[in-house]
Amino acid sequence: MAIKIFFPSACSAAENGLLIGRWMAQHKSAVVLATLHFPFIPGNVRSYLSQMERKTGLSLSVIGTWSHSKKDKDEKMDNFLGELGSIFSHQPWLRMARESSSKFWDCKVERMEGEESEDVVLVYYDQRKLMLSELHSASEYSEIAAVFDTVAKHQPLFAKDKYDEGPVNLTHWQSDGVEASIIVELCKQASVPLCAVISFFVSLITSICNLRVLSGKPLSFLWSKMSTCEQLGRRLENLRLISSSEKAQDHTTFMRKANTFLSLFLDVTLGILLMSWLYQGNHIGQLADALIPVADRIALELQELLQWLMGAPAGLKMNRALDEVLGRFFMYHIHLWISYIRLMSPFIEVILWYIGLSACLGLTVALSILSDIIALLTFHIYCFYVYGARLYCFKMHGLSSLWRLFRGKKWNVLRQRVDSCSYDLDQLFLGTLLFTILLFLLPTTALYYLVFTLLRLLVIMVQGVIQMTINLLSSLPFFALLQRLCRSYRLAAGVKFRMLEQQQGKPLRLLMQINPLPYGQVLDTYRLPSSRCYPKDSWGSLCKKLFIGEVIYPWKQKEEKQD
Amino acid sequence: MSPVLQSSNPGAYTDVTWGQDTTSSPDPVENHTPWKKVLYERQPFPDNYVDKSFLEELRKNIYVRRYSYWAVVFESAVVIHQLCSVCSFSVIWWYMDQDLLSPQKLCGFGLAFTLLGYLIFDAVDKGAGRKESGRTRWRDLKSSLVFVAFTYGFSPVLKTLTESISTDTIYAMSVLMLIGHLVFFDYGANAAVVSNTLSINMAIFASVCLASRLPRSLHAFTMVTFAIQIFALWPSLQRKLRAYTPRTYTCVTFIFAVFSVSGLLSISSVGALLFFLLLISVTFLCPYFLIRLQLFKDNIHGPWDEAEIKEDLSRFLD
Repeated sequence: MAIKIFFPSACSAAENGLLIGRWMAQHKSAVVLATLHFPFIPGNVRSYLSQMERKTGLSLSVIGTWSHSKKDKDEKMDNFLGELGSIFSHQPWLRMARESSSKFWDCKVERMEGEESEDVVLVYYDQRKLMLSELHSASEYSEIAAVFDTVAKHQPLFAKDKYDEGPVNLTHWQSDGVEASIIVELCKQASVPLCAVISFFVSLITSICNLRVLSGKPLSFLWSKMSTCEQLGRRLENLRLISSSEKAQDHTTFMRKANTFLSLFLDVTLGILLMSWLYQGNHIGQLADALIPVADRIALELQELLQWLMGAPAGLKMNRALDEVLGRFFMYHIHLWISYIRLMSPFIEVILWYIGLSACLGLTVALSILSDIIALLTFHIYCFYVYGARLYCFKMHGLSSLWRLFRGKKWNVLRQRVDSCSYDLDQLFLGTLLFTILLFLLPTTALYYLVFTLLRLLVIMVQGVIQMTINLLSSLPFFALLQRLCRSYRLAAGVKFRMLEQQQGKPLRLLMQINPLPYGQVLDTYRLPSSRCYPKDSWGSLCKKLFIGEVIYPWKQKEEKQD
Repeated sequence: MSPVLQSSNPGAYTDVTWGQDTTSSPDPVENHTPWKKVLYERQPFPDNYVDKSFLEELRKNIYVRRYSYWAVVFESAVVIHQLCSVCSFSVIWWYMDQDLLSPQKLCGFGLAFTLLGYLIFDAVDKGAGRKESGRTRWRDLKSSLVFVAFTYGFSPVLKTLTESISTDTIYAMSVLMLIGHLVFFDYGANAAVVSNTLSINMAIFASVCLASRLPRSLHAFTMVTFAIQIFALWPSLQRKLRAYTPRTYTCVTFIFAVFSVSGLLSISSVGALLFFLLLISVTFLCPYFLIRLQLFKDNIHGPWDEAEIKEDLSRFLD
């Protein structure tokens, strides 16, 4: 196995000196982190390195010498560098030399334990990118992960530039001046009091929400049904996460915080844009004027649908008397609904005006309010659906048990099976009479049920689309996507090597480049948890529920999940 | 007219030679060890060896029964009764549908006959069956009240029930249900297909279907009541008559058959002729064939397991 030397490309133009880095014996590779220049005192260098070791927790030592001859070979210098090896006792000892006349570098490995001299592979790497990037999907003990880790952990080593006074003089990627931004520093300073204020308000609101009056039985039931309340709760949770004063422990927590912050920021920006559009040019009034006719129109369409059902819809054989009764019942309901809307109409604009203010809390809040408004405006459809489903369910259950009676069987509850049973004559007569009546009335009920179920599914679908938009907005990792787009090296999936030159007897030179993480994986890794869960029903069980007439609720799944 | 049976001695051993096996297998006489029908001992015979003594236990026609012709004819009266019940029900329905028979009249006749039947039902065995079942008269009254009240209450619903469904569909359904009633009726045979409950239910279903075609709700009420009387109450009275006074039973069967044929005759002569032929064949021809065909019976029984083909249907179930 060849010895690999990871060499920072920033140091290739450095003056003569010593190589500082880390030797990884299990991978047979050396990571060069910086070059040390004359003049230095060996004792000072050792104490500086041990101080660094204490800070980072990783071993750091002088692992060899570096000579960069500008014009021609300097015998004196070579000898001097050779003697330095006896001062610093490191095994193995690297001797690297670069000549300006040749593209190939000399690299010798001395004092290697028990083995012959081996091939050497030189790998150039970009120290800045390696330090900032986060390697994904690598096992803990892989060589590349160890290299990334070593470079990332020696950040304090790079904090000094050549203008700083100190016992040692180093060359690395930041040696010409430390990178920093005034804006970032100012933001960091300003965020501390801001976070304190926000967290105070968050705790205040949380304590109000936890009051016994608000979490009592009837109100808590109401809260759990409205998606707005859920969205507000989520918003509070996000704020608490962002404004916490603790420093992010690891990369995952940091990314989560950053993603949450950015998505919140984007959300609120979009919400404020929406609000400014709404309040400019009296859009609220237009909306209110449009809403009432729409609700009226829906009611009218429903009325026409009912009238069609009360006739002979699609030539189906319906029971005329039952058809009329059901139709009149639903008509009366629509009549009630219309009068309710008429009663509401003067106040709609005011209500909308106040609701519009909530858009400043974010687009998702506005969307969930829209979803709730849709649920309220289609309440009659929901009622129809429930009546139809209950009636149909009753019929189906009656028919199934009377069909058992018809065959002379019964359902044994204790054994969970169908047993044969001998019935009395009057039981038989009554059962069969009811069975016949229910059987002939079934098509009528089933048709009403079918039509109202389709309407209900339509409403659920609209609400589902809104919910999906909300989920998308609140779970997309915007920060990670932005990083992937602009600084693709920050999220690394692995590395690739490009061969520079190769010649017999000289070390192979490779350039290490970072493979960015694919977008799909970015989404998978950094997706924010969305509180609202989708209905977990499979299509089959949904169809079965629809067939036997069980009432389906979009929010039912959540309660079952908690059990 | 007693038939001659092929093997009148059940349990007789029949000696049948089993040619090929004795020549192909090693001769057990040489070994001088008799073959035993056991698996737990090692024997000098191949696995597929069949001994001469194997067929000694063969028996033929052990479960055969001898029938006497007139007994079979008497038994066939149950079938005649049921056929006549269905026939007279249809005839009465037709009369009601054509408005030739007023519901009040039918109701009156039905009530009178039911009361008469009720009295006879108790008189025939002098109250022994009632004591045995522990059924009180109060319970009978309650049952009949339930019948009348529910039928009367539901009769307006019944009238509008099948309004939008085509008459042909109703006829087809009723015919199917009445045939089902005849198939599943308990004629005294011990078979899996017999289900008294299903048979009565099918008849009631058919009667409700037919009653919904009648012009007024009183018609529907009368029709369903009549169906109960003829399909549920009449067979139980018949059973009792047959058990206690077979002579009267034969008489009643004859009168009932004559009435239904003549009723059918007033609607359609061809139908009446066909129905008459059917009755004759069921009463006289079918018993003759039953006894004649006993001659060709050839069942063998022995100490072997019969090969049974059991189709595994469970894989279709889930």
